[in-house]
Amino acid sequence: MAPLVRVQGLKKSFGDLQILNGIDLDVEPSEVVSIIGPSGSGKTTILRCINLLERADGGRIEVDGQVLCDEGPDGGIRFASKRDIRKIREEVGMVFQRFNLFPHMTALENVIEGPIAVKGMDKGAATERAHELLASVGLSHRADHYPLQMSGGQQQRVAIARALAMEPRLMLFDEVTSAVDPELAGEILLVMKHLAEQGMTMIVVTHEMGFAADVSDRVLFIDHGLVVEEGRASQVLGAPAEERTKAFLRAVLERAPMAEEGDDPDQLNEEPTWSSDPLAAEEAARDSAELARLRNEVAELRQQLFRSGTTRSEG
Amino acid sequence: MDLGFIADIVPEILEGLPTTIGLFLWSMLLSTVGGLLLALARMSAVGALRWFAVAYGWLIRGIPLLLIMFYVFFALPEFSRTFLLSPFWTAVAALSLWTAAYQAEAIRSGILAVDNGQYEAAEALGMTRAHYMRRIVLPQSVRIIVPPFMGNAINTLKQTSLATVITVPEMALITTRIISREFNALEPLLALAIIYLALTTLLVFGQAGLERAFRLKV
Ligand SMILES: Nc1ncnc2c1ncn2[C@@H]1O[C@H](COP(=O)(O)OP(=O)(O)OP(=O)(O)O)[C@@H](O)[C@H]1O
Ligand SMILES: [Mg+2]
Repeated sequence: MAPLVRVQGLKKSFGDLQILNGIDLDVEPSEVVSIIGPSGSGKTTILRCINLLERADGGRIEVDGQVLCDEGPDGGIRFASKRDIRKIREEVGMVFQRFNLFPHMTALENVIEGPIAVKGMDKGAATERAHELLASVGLSHRADHYPLQMSGGQQQRVAIARALAMEPRLMLFDEVTSAVDPELAGEILLVMKHLAEQGMTMIVVTHEMGFAADVSDRVLFIDHGLVVEEGRASQVLGAPAEERTKAFLRAVLERAPMAEEGDDPDQLNEEPTWSSDPLAAEEAARDSAELARLRNEVAELRQQLFRSGTTRSEG
Repeated sequence: MDLGFIADIVPEILEGLPTTIGLFLWSMLLSTVGGLLLALARMSAVGALRWFAVAYGWLIRGIPLLLIMFYVFFALPEFSRTFLLSPFWTAVAALSLWTAAYQAEAIRSGILAVDNGQYEAAEALGMTRAHYMRRIVLPQSVRIIVPPFMGNAINTLKQTSLATVITVPEMALITTRIISREFNALEPLLALAIIYLALTTLLVFGQAGLERAFRLKV
């Protein structure tokens, strides 16, 4: 099967600063690829180049058989036409660190705007679909709320529903949990996990190593705009070959307090602090069982990771 | 002070009201369109457009309106007779050119208040720039634009009185005629001031109404 995304030799600089130094990345349909790496290594820039929020300086990007940019025979880079770019963007959903919802629109309005404006869907059909999507991210009862009336976790789930409403073939996630309270990250990760299970092709930039280990088929470790190490999640995270990967993982593990062996794993499962309104409480009750399950999984993975991390640094 | 005299001259001054309002409404219409174009030019990707918008604002806001009015009235027709306008349309042109520079700033501040993240979200959804402007930016920026925009409108309303100097028969010109006819300045000027105050007060109420209408429903 042909890869859904094919990135070859992607280069990008800002002024004198070379950020991407030739990134290669193939993503198969239904594959989930996580990108990890230190701050400033160029992770966000890769995602932005893939849906042309940023224009690459060199290399070739292909999504679903359509060429976004390519180097001409003279070495200069050429981009698809404005119309083609818009078509490709319809197929690529992006979720941002800071949600970027439209604050003057309700959750429902946020979700239906794209399908109506871009796909020409009629309002009734778009609304029906939006209700389904909001339900799938656990927010049916929030459809008429404005972004400012929702928690960060809820806003991010609306943002995911908004991207999904375009029926994308590929979803890009850029550190989607890092702007929300840690106790609300779980509800976002849960939605992403469901999405992965349904066969969505995903590229996920994340600092959540537990999630990367749990959900992704493949992990890329990026540093200084280059792919340093790439492989199955268990290999890159559990048994990294490169020194730089080890150093990075060690630093991450030290920063985030890990459940150590003998710790009571239940302490990771204390109830999330929901806001006091009754709707949220209801929602909490519904989600908490699922959340607890995910938290357990993540906690277990963290322990495994920590074990392999420590043996590695001792060895 | 003779209140009876004031009552006599108010109707006479009000004969200039339609002209004053004509000057005001035409200038507001043209300067709003001009201000929007200038604001978009100022944020354009094309360097020459940005440069033009900045230079325009610097020039127009840096010289007196009176000078602009004289320039349009006396100097422009020397370049070409097509610029030879009636006093009324000269005043409209000058007021519009002048107000547009201020409205551009008001409109730009409203557009800038919509953070870039929303633009990227709209782009990522495949929206066109025009759709983004109309459906995402406009509704959010209107409520930020209203206060400075209405402040500029109040200024322009008062500055229509400058059209006196190029013989447009608006309220201030009629008042000066009354003054020279009656050899009395106190009551005519007071009457004129009261009429302007009434008009600007209407605009202040209009502003409050608009601000209520566009308040973010949250
Ligand atoms: N528009 C821009 N103009 C100039 N420099 C930029 C721009 N966007 C990103 N950079 C720089 O490029 C580098 C890589 O940025 P990028 O956001 O891709 O890193 P990242 O790996 O996502 O980091 P983080 O983990 O902190 O999000 C950073 O040094 C950043 O300052
Ligand atoms: Mg980033």
